[in-house]
Order: sequence, then C-alpha cells, then structure tokens
Amino acid sequence: MKPASFEYFAPTSVADAVSLLQEHGLEAKLLAGGQSLVPLLNMRLARPTVVIDVNRVDGLSYVREDGDALAIGAMTHQREVERAELVQRVNPLLHAATRLIGHPQIRNRGTVGGSIAHADPAAELPAVALALDAEMHITGPNGEKAVPAADFFVTYLTTTLEPAEMLTEVRVPALPQGTGWSIQEMARRHGDFALAGATVTLSMNGGMCSDARVVLFGVGATPLRVQQAEERLIGERVDAALISEIGREISSSIDEPLADIHATSEYRRNLAGVLTERALVEALGRAA
Amino acid sequence: MAAKRDIRLTVNGVAYEATVEPRMTLVDMLRGELGLTGTHVGCEHGVCGACTVLMDGRAVRSCIMLAVQADGADFMTIEGLASREGELHPIQQAFIEERGLQCGFCTPGFMMSILELLQETPDPTDDEIKDALGGAICRCTGYESILKSVRSAAKKLLAPAS
Amino acid sequence: MTFEFPKSLDDLPISSPKWVGKPVNRVEDPQLVTGKTEFIDNITLPGMVHCAILHSPHAHARIKSIDMSRAAALLGVVATLTGEDAERWSRPMYTTPQGWGGYVLATDKVRFVGEPVAAVAATSRYIAEDALELIDVEYEPIDPIVDAFSAAQPGSPKVFEEHDDNIMYQRVFTWGEVDESFQKADHVYKESFRWNRVGANPLETFGVISEWDLVDDTLTCRGAFQTASFMAMGRAATFRLPSNKVRFIAQPHGGSFGGKGGGRGTDITLMLSRKAAGRPVKWIEDRMEYLSSGGSQAWDRHYEASIAVNDDGTVTALRVKLLDDMGATAEGFGATGAVKPMASFTGCYAIPNAEYDLTLVATNKLPASPYRGMGPPPHNFVLEQMMDIAARDLGLDPAEMRRRNFIPADQFPYIIASGNEYDSGEYEAALDKVLEMAGYEQLRREQEEARAQGRHVGIGVVSTIEPGVFDWNAYTVIGTQGIGIPEGVTVAIDTMGKITARVGFALEGQGQYTVVTQLLAEYFGVELEDVRVVLADNLSAPPNFGPGGSRLGVAITGAVLGAAQRLTEKLTKVAAKLFEVQPEDVELLDGMLRVKSVPESQLSVANAAAIMLNRSDMLPPDVDPSPQATFAWTAPGRVEPDEQGRVKSYLTAANACHLVMVEVDPDTGQVEILKYYIADDCGTRLNPANVEGMVQGAVAQGVGATLLEEYVYDDDGQLLTASFMDYLLPTIHEVPFPEKAALVTPSPFTPLGAKGAGESAIHTTPAAIMCAINDALLPLGVRAKEVPASPNRLWKLIQGASG
Ligand SMILES: Cc1cc2nc3c(=O)[nH]c(=O)nc-3n(C[C@H](O)[C@H](O)[C@H](O)COP(=O)(O)OP(=O)(O)OC[C@H]3O[C@@H](n4cnc5c(N)ncnc54)[C@H](O)[C@@H]3O)c2cc1C
Ligand code: FES
Ligand code: FES
Repeated sequence: MKPASFEYFAPTSVADAVSLLQEHGLEAKLLAGGQSLVPLLNMRLARPTVVIDVNRVDGLSYVREDGDALAIGAMTHQREVERAELVQRVNPLLHAATRLIGHPQIRNRGTVGGSIAHADPAAELPAVALALDAEMHITGPNGEKAVPAADFFVTYLTTTLEPAEMLTEVRVPALPQGTGWSIQEMARRHGDFALAGATVTLSMNGGMCSDARVVLFGVGATPLRVQQAEERLIGERVDAALISEIGREISSSIDEPLADIHATSEYRRNLAGVLTERALVEALGRAA
Repeated sequence: MAAKRDIRLTVNGVAYEATVEPRMTLVDMLRGELGLTGTHVGCEHGVCGACTVLMDGRAVRSCIMLAVQADGADFMTIEGLASREGELHPIQQAFIEERGLQCGFCTPGFMMSILELLQETPDPTDDEIKDALGGAICRCTGYESILKSVRSAAKKLLAPAS
Repeated sequence: MTFEFPKSLDDLPISSPKWVGKPVNRVEDPQLVTGKTEFIDNITLPGMVHCAILHSPHAHARIKSIDMSRAAALLGVVATLTGEDAERWSRPMYTTPQGWGGYVLATDKVRFVGEPVAAVAATSRYIAEDALELIDVEYEPIDPIVDAFSAAQPGSPKVFEEHDDNIMYQRVFTWGEVDESFQKADHVYKESFRWNRVGANPLETFGVISEWDLVDDTLTCRGAFQTASFMAMGRAATFRLPSNKVRFIAQPHGGSFGGKGGGRGTDITLMLSRKAAGRPVKWIEDRMEYLSSGGSQAWDRHYEASIAVNDDGTVTALRVKLLDDMGATAEGFGATGAVKPMASFTGCYAIPNAEYDLTLVATNKLPASPYRGMGPPPHNFVLEQMMDIAARDLGLDPAEMRRRNFIPADQFPYIIASGNEYDSGEYEAALDKVLEMAGYEQLRREQEEARAQGRHVGIGVVSTIEPGVFDWNAYTVIGTQGIGIPEGVTVAIDTMGKITARVGFALEGQGQYTVVTQLLAEYFGVELEDVRVVLADNLSAPPNFGPGGSRLGVAITGAVLGAAQRLTEKLTKVAAKLFEVQPEDVELLDGMLRVKSVPESQLSVANAAAIMLNRSDMLPPDVDPSPQATFAWTAPGRVEPDEQGRVKSYLTAANACHLVMVEVDPDTGQVEILKYYIADDCGTRLNPANVEGMVQGAVAQGVGATLLEEYVYDDDGQLLTASFMDYLLPTIHEVPFPEKAALVTPSPFTPLGAKGAGESAIHTTPAAIMCAINDALLPLGVRAKEVPASPNRLWKLIQGASG
C-alpha cells in the first residue's frame, strides 16, 4: 500500500499554484490536508502524476470576522476553526459541524478548503456551507471569483472548480442572533462519515417561523437543500405535529439515495426524515 | 521515478537530514530512513491511529502525510517521551501501572494523542479523553485501562513536582 | 519420576505468596511503552529486499497466462515468483480437512478475490508495488460460487474440480436419546440464525523476513508467528526439508487472536529468497491485504437449532445444524472453529442429549481462519437465544430458566453430552453475583417503566463456558492430528544467582512472560528483577506450541513448576552434601535450602547454584554441574474421540455470567448499551490484572462482532469491506466498561488451579447483547436472528413489525 510515483511541487503563492495547475492539467492534484487524498494515493486509487502541495502557500490560513460573515482561509485546519472562540460566538453551527468531522488528529491536518473542495456528499462542512449560504472564493487562470454554495456542489466528489482553479477562501455569513440551529447525524461509529445527516436553521418571530433552512447530507450526490420543508415551516407555528409531518414527507419524497453496505437507500431515506425531525426539535429549542 | 528531495527536520530535539522520494510517506521515512521504529503502522489509510506523532505540537497521522511535507517541521515520537537518561514519562508510568496496554502495538500512537490532550487540557473529563482518543484503535485492551491510564497520567502531571 | 503439582498457592515453597496471584506490573511493559520492542517490521537485515504480492481481482477464474517479464525488468526488482515455482519447489498447502487447497501461489485457477497469484522482491516496497503493476495476467473468469446454500446443493458448480462437490465435511454427531427426547418433550422450539463473517484484526498485521541459504538448504524465518514451532514443521513438510534445517524465530507481535495467518506469506518469501540467491526477503502484509487475503475472516454461519423443553423449563435435548462457509480452501484452520463448540456444546447446562449436524462448504471467498474463542461464540449466541425463546414461552424469567438448567456445583467433574469434561464450576453463584451487582429486580422495574414510556429497553442474562487448554485430540474428528503438543521451559540459575527462563513463544500481549517471572520469583524466593524470560527459536527451545485455545497460561505454569521442582531436586542434593544430611532432610522455603530439623543450617538457592558451577569438589556424585532444568507440561489422560466424536479435549471450563441492558432506538435501529455487569470465574488468577484486561478486551471484540464488524461480499465474490473505513472495529466510544466481579473456583486438574482464560468474554458478550436486544424488541413481536445487529438490520426488522 504505497503511492505510485509523482512529481512534487510546493508553491508558495496562490498564483504559482494556479500556474502549476494550468501547466499540468488533469494530471495534477492539489494537496491540502491530505486526509482524503493521501489514503487514496496509498491505495493507488488516486494516481496523479503531479502533486501540488499548497501547505506552503502563505496567507491561506485564517479565521476573520469580515462584516456580517466569517472569512476562512482555505488552508485553515479544521481544528483551528473548532478552537476559534470567534467561530463559536458568531457561528455555533459551524463550530458544531466541524467537531463532527472525524477525530482531532484528522482535524489537525484536514483543511476547510479541502473538505469543501473534496465535496464528499456525507461531509459536514459542505452541508453547513449550503445551509448558511456560504460563498466560495476561487482563484483561477482568469483571476478571482466567488461562487455561492448553492451553485458549487455539482455531484458526487465534484464541484464547479475547474482543473486549474483553487479554492482560497470560504465566507460564511454569521448566524443571526436568536436563530435556532442544529446538526444531527447518524454514523456507525463516533467520528465516521455519516450514513445520513440533517442540518437546520430556524428563525422564530412571535411564535411563528420567519425563516428556515433544511439541508440533508449523505443522502444524495451533493448536500441537499429541502425547500419544500422550508416552505412548510415558514409562517407556521412549529409544533411536534408539523415536525413529524415534515420528517415523514422527507422520508417519502427525497430521491432514492445511494445504497452501500452500511445503509440501504430505504434506510437512508428514513434516517433523513428522522434526523430532520430531531434537528428541528433541537433548533426550535435554541431559537429565541 | 520522480526526483528525490532533500529535507531537514527535527525529531525529539535532534536535527536530521534525509533524501526522499516525494511519494514516501512520513511514517516510512521516520521508521525506514531515520530508524525511529517506535511509531507503528496499523492501516496506512488514516483510520487506526497507530502511526500518530506530534508535528509542531499537534497529533497527526504520519501514514497519510508525505515525508517531503516534514521539511522544516519539529516532531515528537514515542522515542522522545522518556528522558534521555531513560526515566519514563508520567504517561508511560501510568500505562504500566494501569495496564493501558497488552500487545503494546497501539501504545505509541495513543501516547502521542494523550500528550497533545494533556498539554492543552491538563485535567480532562472522561468525555474529553474519549474525544481525544476516539480515532485510535486498540484491539487488545477494550480501552478501559487506557482511559484509566490517562486519568492517572493527568494526576501525575498535575501533582507538584516533588 | 511423577510430579505432584502444587494445587494451590499455599503449596508453593514460600511462607506467604508475594508475587503470584497479585496484579504485579508486567515485565514486558517498559520496552513496549518506550517503543523499543522489536516487532518484525522494525528489523532490517543486510541485503534485505522487500516483497509485494499480486492478488487475484477475481473470485473465480482460470489463469490463462502470467507474464512476469516487464516486472522483472524494472530497475530494483531482484526476483519474481509465480505458481510455477511453487509447483516445482513446494507441496500443496496443508489443509484441514485434508485435500482442500492448492499451492501458495495460484496455478491453474484462482478461487477467491485476494488469492496470491505472483510475487516480486525488490529493493523497496514502493518499487515492489510498482512492479506488480507490470505483471500481465490473463484471466478467464468463471461464475463465482458465493452463496453457501447454493454451494452445498448437489450439482452446484465446483470450487475444486477434483472433488465431487463443494462439501468439505459433513457429519451428524448424535449424543444420547435425541429423537426420543424431542418426541417426549412438552415443548419443542425451533429457530434459524445467521452469523456473518468477522475476524481477528490484530493491530499489527502479519510480517516475516525469510532467508533460504542455498549452500546447505537451511531456512531461517523471523516473523510475527503465533506458533513458531508448528509453523516450522509445516515449512519442512512443504519444502521437503529435514525439519532441523528450518529455523523459526518468533518476534514479539502486536496481537494475534488466532487470526495472524502467515503461512502463504512465509512460503512466498522463502521461495523469493531462494530465487534471490538467499537474500533476506521481507514481507509486511498491509491492512488491505490482511482484510482481503490474510487470516482475517472467521465464522460465516447459517444455523438451525431446536430444543426440547419440559413444562418446568428443564431442557432435555439440543439439536444444532450448522452450515459453515469455509471459503475457498481449508488452509486456514477455520474448520477447527466449527468443531470446538463440541467442547462446550450444551453450555453451562445439564442437557443430557444433543445432536450436531455439521456441514463445511467451500465457496469462492477468503478461506476462514481461527478467531479468538475459536468457534463457540456463534454457537453460544444460538444456544442462548433458544434458552430465551423457551423462557418467554414458558413465562419464566430468563435468569430463572438458566438456573433451572445449570449443572449443579456438586456434580463436577461433569461430562457433557458431547463428551468433554468440565473440571469445576459454580454457575449459580456466578449468576447470583451478577444479579446482585446489577440489582436485577430493580433493573427489571426500570425496564417496565421505560417500556411504559414507549422506550425499547431490554436485558440479557447469559452464562457461558470458556473451554480452556485444548489438546491434540480436540480436532482429530476433522483430520487435524497432533496439534496441542506440550509446552516447555528451561530454567537456569547462573553463578550470580540470577534466573533465566527460556521459552519458545513470543510476546503477544497476554502477559505470559510476567506470569513466568512471577512464578519463578515466588518459587525461588527472589525479586522479580532477578528473573528474566528469553525467547528461544524452535531449534533451541524446549517443546512448545505457544498461545492458542486458552492454553498457554495453564501449560506454562505447569512447565515452570515442573522445571523449578526438577532444579530444586538438584539444588537440594548440593545442600544435603554440604550439611552432611540426606536430600530428604532438606527443603526449599523462601529461597533457602534448609535442613528441616535444623533450620539455621541453610543455603541460598543462589549459593547452591554457584557451588554447582564453581566447586566440583562440593558436587554430589550424582549431580551434573548444571543448575538448569527443562520441563514440558502436557495434560494427562487425553485419548482419541469415540465413534461419536466424544472426547475429553479441553482440560478446563471457565465460566462467565454477563448481564447487559440495552436500548434500541426504533427510529434508527441504533443500539445503546446502558448497563453491563460481569461475573467471571476462571479459577485461580495468577495475575488478576492480566485476566481483567483480557475480559475487557474480549468484551470489546464481542461488541464489535455483535454490533459493528462484518465482512461483506457481493454476488460476484468481491469483498466490500477491504479497509478500516468499512470493516468497523469498535473504538473507545462504542465499548462499554462493565462492572466486573471475580469468582474463584479452582480447577482440580491444573497446577495452582488456574483455568484457561485468554478468550473469556467473547464467548458471552455477543449472546448477552443479542438476548438484550431481543428482550427490548419483545413488545414489537419481532426477533433479531442475525449478527451483527446493525442499525439498518434492526430498523428493517422493526419496520416489519409495525408495517
Ligand atoms: C479517519 C478519517 C475520518 C474522517 N472523517 C470525516 C468526517 O466524519 N467528515 C468529513 O467531512 N470528513 C472526514 N474525513 C475527511 C477529512 O475531513 C478531510 O480533511 C477532508 O475531506 C479533506 O480535506 P483535506 O484538507 O485533508 O484535503 P486533501 O485530502 O488534501 O484534498 C482532498 C481533495 O480536495 C482537493 N483540494 C484540497 N484543497 C483544495 C483547494 N483549496 N482548492 C481546490 N481543491 C482542493 C484536493 O486536490 C483533493 O482532491 C475523515 C478522514 C479520515 C482519514
Ligand atoms: S497506520 Fe496511520 S492511521 Fe493507521
Ligand atoms: S494493546 Fe494491542 S492493540 Fe492496543
């Protein structure tokens, strides 16, 4: 179980990284935290002939408050996000989601950008990015651009990133004061990728739901926003009956999820509903 | 074969130079090139934790890092835990007293994670211990004695030096 | 000379025990906690090259051609190997049952995904793996045979053309009046069960460094061998070499649990070394290799069971029909796991009649290997479900149901229906202990309350036997002869009075070197630091087998005490000469050889040894100047099985009672273990901390097998769980920490009364958790019959109930 041979570059600037990507095209892979890429290299399931290690690129590791949002450098270790008091304060959902990623040793190396660019459909950060309307800042041969999370995730392990583009920053809007939130997932073991998960934000106003976000993960090819459920919530008094109705609707309406050895698609559908219910209950309890 | 690269790193306070192929994993370099065989390999895909070392003070899996990435970094491995005179670290003492090991193959990796934990959280709760160790596999002990070892090590480290 | 082994700690030559029976720290630990222990992969020999093995991607295919030329031409490749070499140089693998295997590298066809097809040796493992990609193999796929039931059908396509069908072994063992008992019974219960493949997964995989000296045809292998001497004999046979030309050095290893494997890797590296002009060849099995082609998989079972029960709850007969899927060959000794349940077939119960209908079938999957417990854990799961089914129907509390069937404490030694003899036991006391610890009645009330709130909480109470100390006769019914050889030790005292014990088994995690140290320090009245245990290779060690079948603790205790006694006889003669008395007048006590009637006349053991080595003038005429003694222990009275396979095979019967309370989440099928209590009785505990560690470790493995672990093959025979991302070992979050109590019912048959204890809780945990789950599901009217009880499976079951 040893990687096949590859050329290795360790650029120190985003511009250099991008021009290396441009030069080597599909043969090249960016190496961020390596927590997804290196296992695949070891198994020879990923076989880039060029590895571009962006760990030495300056200035891509930070968590900053920028207006109403958090600006997070793509190379920021997940563990830094988890530790940042700022994140806990401004966006407790992001904090909670980050803690659900693997284990501390994985988060010590794994990066925010890596997780989002890797786009595993069961990963927490892509789901939360979608739920919170995060914006992906991307640098490519034609300069910089920003892509909303809603447009970013294309399908299984695939995003809108072009081969010569690099994700440089993720901007996550702050969770408005009083917004209820929750992230619920079911994994075979603590720290494993989720079989399915749901993350919810809920704003209540005078006993009525004024805004809601419902995003599922692990049940489709990308994180899945369930607008139908959001519409059912907005303008309603959210109670147990409504919540279980929404759960049931989700279980019966979402497209057939992928099956694997741990979960049939039928079971995943069920989990999606159950976890949404649980997330709604918790978010409601937190909403002010 | 891709061109080899020269790297410099510090391990347990000792400076090393090595020339490695880019594809070589960090753990293969530590064990094979530097002869630091106390760090073990259980899976080579990041799941078991046997290969855990401290890189710039952070517990990381050395099987899913490349040796070239170690250039300029400061590492600690199991070989650096006891004093150079051979006096065991309180974590090691605790493991012996609380039977935190059976075959001992997982032990170096666990100890590195525990070291990181106790440096940041000198008096951890059981839940904090479990969170810190949840990514490591021990097939022998059933973990109870490892948990006890951590509690005991924390006590030893907190006790004023006598 | 006959030996009178000390029956208890009181019989040792000391005033009061200082080491034995105490939880002393382990002598192996300082090396282990500093990372200094020499595991096989730490060793580099001069000129050493690295092996990588090409594994079959097909479950079943004919090999049309193999072209190694591109691989051989790669820079750094030193040697290549294919089945042709294996055919030329070796015999087909030894199998149990015999005749169900091929060569270590496939020749005509491949029979499972992962089967070794070719190998290379190169200057690094990286290059060796590069070379694998340059091997050109042309396969002609054949329909794989994956399902055990279809494989067992007459007319099924065959795994081995030379056999009539896929049935490796089939036999019905009948013990007592089985048909009559079922006819006469007030109640008969019948059910079928499924246990899916699980396995050992020690954290260290197998590894070996082999050298084939071409000048005088001697082999030297260093490796993670669980049973080095046994492996060495196998190699001598495989390569048709004189057995004293095969040297095996076992390195300390990172666990085994019966599933270290290694036969193929050892032979492949040996032949590669032969091709590489005798250079040492190292092979470290990687984890994916371990999972897909190593000693990793065990117990792939389909059960049908029935019990005959009277109105009062007494069970009169048990019938178990097992279809055990052995995978492609019988090379892995997996078949022994189907036979071992005969050693404790009827568990803790006095069930007079029983029948075992056993079929071993070949399929295109990885050959089955042993795993801790060696087979009874699934059997116990089946038996205990049946006990609960009967209890429920009769309206008996499950604990009471068991109590009514226990073998009474005054009936030991007791011969069970299947022929094995249980040495001693206090099953009811263990049950009572657990019920008391758990506050059983209160727990049942809590369960009622939870049920009233709509929660699905259940309790399982299960008692099992751990057969210990297997012997040569345990597996003869399936054609395995001669496993279970004696365990020996050589004890030497040097001129400075320090003691060295030489053994033939490597460190593996059970703490046996510590036990040897404790025993010798105790016997000769010295400190632990005065004793050292060293490992000898197979050619210089006394007869030995090593760990396996929960035997080593007992066997090595016998060996050490025997050797110590032999040595004492010599030392006594030296002292007698010095004090001018008869040897009978001298005794050993607290490390002193003293004249019984004149206790002031005493000579230390150290001095007596020094006299032997340095003063020929003071040596008695019938004593050689060697303060050393060797003793090999074996259990007495082991004879061949009778015509129904009945045999006294395992010398000791340890007992454990587990009580576990779980909650099942009906919406997700997730099981949470709420409470767990254990009372464990393995006789005298030589080092109680060792035993407790084993119990807890085996609980973890039991939890893994019951809730998480499973090898899954698809219909094409592809393994879907070839990494630790998918084969799920329990972590610190999933393993409960039961409250544990020890009972001590010494064995009347063993030195110091110790019983085999290495497998412990894995016999009980799966059964107990499954009983608890089914208790939780009771109000829903469904029953879980498949292990592991994964969330998906339980959820589906519960859906079936309400829908
Ligand atoms: C044992 C284990 C458990 C895990 N559990 C979880 C879990 O529960 N949840 C979870 O979400 N993840 C989990 N992970 C994965 C982990 O979170 C990874 O860190 C993450 O998926 C990838 O981040 P990385 O920085 O390591 O990226 P890498 O592995 O370095 O890269 C992953 C991919 O993204 C690309 N990439 C990386 N950075 C960029 C960038 N800035 N721009 C463009 N492309 C980029 C790479 O080229 C590569 O294709 C686990 C991993 C392990 C080993
Ligand atoms: S060997 Fe690195 S995590 Fe298992
Ligand atoms: S002590 Fe053996 S794996 Fe942990």
